[in-house]
Amino acid sequence: MEQTTKLPESVKYDLTFAREIYSLENGSYIKQCMQCGMCAISCATRDIMDYSPRRLFNLIKLGKKDEVLKSNTFWYCTSCCTCKARCPRGIPLVDVMHDLKRYAIKNGYVDYPQAAFCKAFWAEVAGRGKVFEGGVTARFYLIRGLDEVLKAMEMKDIGINMLKRGRLPMFPPKKIKGMGNLKKIIRKAQEIQRKEEAR
Amino acid sequence: MKYSFYPGCSMEATAQANLVSIKAVASALDLQLEEIHDWNCCGATVASGVVGDFTQQVMTGRNLAIAEPKGQDVVVGCSSCYLSLAVTNKRFREDEHFRALANEALAEGGYKYNGTLRVRQFLEVVINDVGFEKIAKKVKRPLKGLKVAGYVGCQTVRAIPYEFDDPEYPVLMDRLTEALGATATPFPMKARCCGSSNAIADTKIVLDSALKIFESASQGGAQLMVTPCPMCQLNLDAYQQLVNKVHGTSYNMPILFFTQLMAIAFDLPPDAWALKYNIVPPGAALASFGVG
Repeated sequence: MEQTTKLPESVKYDLTFAREIYSLENGSYIKQCMQCGMCAISCATRDIMDYSPRRLFNLIKLGKKDEVLKSNTFWYCTSCCTCKARCPRGIPLVDVMHDLKRYAIKNGYVDYPQAAFCKAFWAEVAGRGKVFEGGVTARFYLIRGLDEVLKAMEMKDIGINMLKRGRLPMFPPKKIKGMGNLKKIIRKAQEIQRKEEAR
Repeated sequence: MKYSFYPGCSMEATAQANLVSIKAVASALDLQLEEIHDWNCCGATVASGVVGDFTQQVMTGRNLAIAEPKGQDVVVGCSSCYLSLAVTNKRFREDEHFRALANEALAEGGYKYNGTLRVRQFLEVVINDVGFEKIAKKVKRPLKGLKVAGYVGCQTVRAIPYEFDDPEYPVLMDRLTEALGATATPFPMKARCCGSSNAIADTKIVLDSALKIFESASQGGAQLMVTPCPMCQLNLDAYQQLVNKVHGTSYNMPILFFTQLMAIAFDLPPDAWALKYNIVPPGAALASFGVG
């Protein structure tokens, strides 16, 4: 018999991507999500996210790699922890968002300025053991380029005010004494982390 | 009482007022803060986005490992540092597998952390180890009539929910404000996010978040706001002018660290108030108390 009504196109699950995300440090928690939406109504930046955390988790389960990694959701997460405190399934959403940021950076999805900020921040930690706020800002603009610098000119009053009030030291703090040790610790931690995620 | 003290990076730069006033208030309350030797950055809520939670927590664990031999509670002044240190500490204490792996990494630098310490916010230490009664007795300049909005921010009470206050509607900072003689005003947004580190990456997020917070605080009739968090203080203070410009508002709300207000109420020397670092001048709100 000929079919008269056209059935909706079937959803194609790509489990390779989902499994890869589940293998991240906090990734397996995503499987516990029951789509209740508590995170979505709790989120301070939900209004400007393209997918709420709930929808993002669903896209991960569906294996929608590109949609997930191009979304602004995890970059706009401010780590305010409201969702984490409220999730009825105890999913540490904030920590999952950290994993997604790292995964996105590793795979070259770095269009959002927040990615540049994360990288700038980390460069400070890795180089000195302490973060110099002026250094984070400078590195951020180096990564983002001239357009962003011009935008920043609109905010020069803020910088001037902070300078006037003694809140922008010109020189970075000294490197920590144990910088050599810290580097070794970080290298080893990265190695262990990779091993754990490959298990 | 003696504590190991973790200041955090911002106290050496944008949040010097926090450091100055915490030290002064601690000394007035006989709390001895011994800075953790050669401490390193905790990674805030940013580093893990590049290197992962495990690596960040190991790095944070170095500070705890250095502090452990003294056996003193670790006191933290910054909300983001508190989040990082408290969550890391909890994992060292409760997750054996994590502890073993983290110590394997720490051993590369000659460290080991057994998870024996407690990590605490300075706000919580003041409230629980000193207490409202003793604080009230220290007040030499009662701030009677001053209407204060207690902006707790997000991470202080939600790093580890119910650790010392309600994560949805915290009350302890308001009670502290009242112990100083001031009036805590109604402030539904008191634990709402300020936009955090987006100030540089995506300023609009901070401007919009701050607007909601200013609205909420003003509707309650506040003359100034107090906060425990360096990021909240910076965002609300330094970006206030831009909020007004972008949103057509005219807020003129001084943002103080709660320890600055304590230093004023205790009548400590003006240096301890650290008001020279404040961008929105608190003079108008505090003039009737002889501060300006």
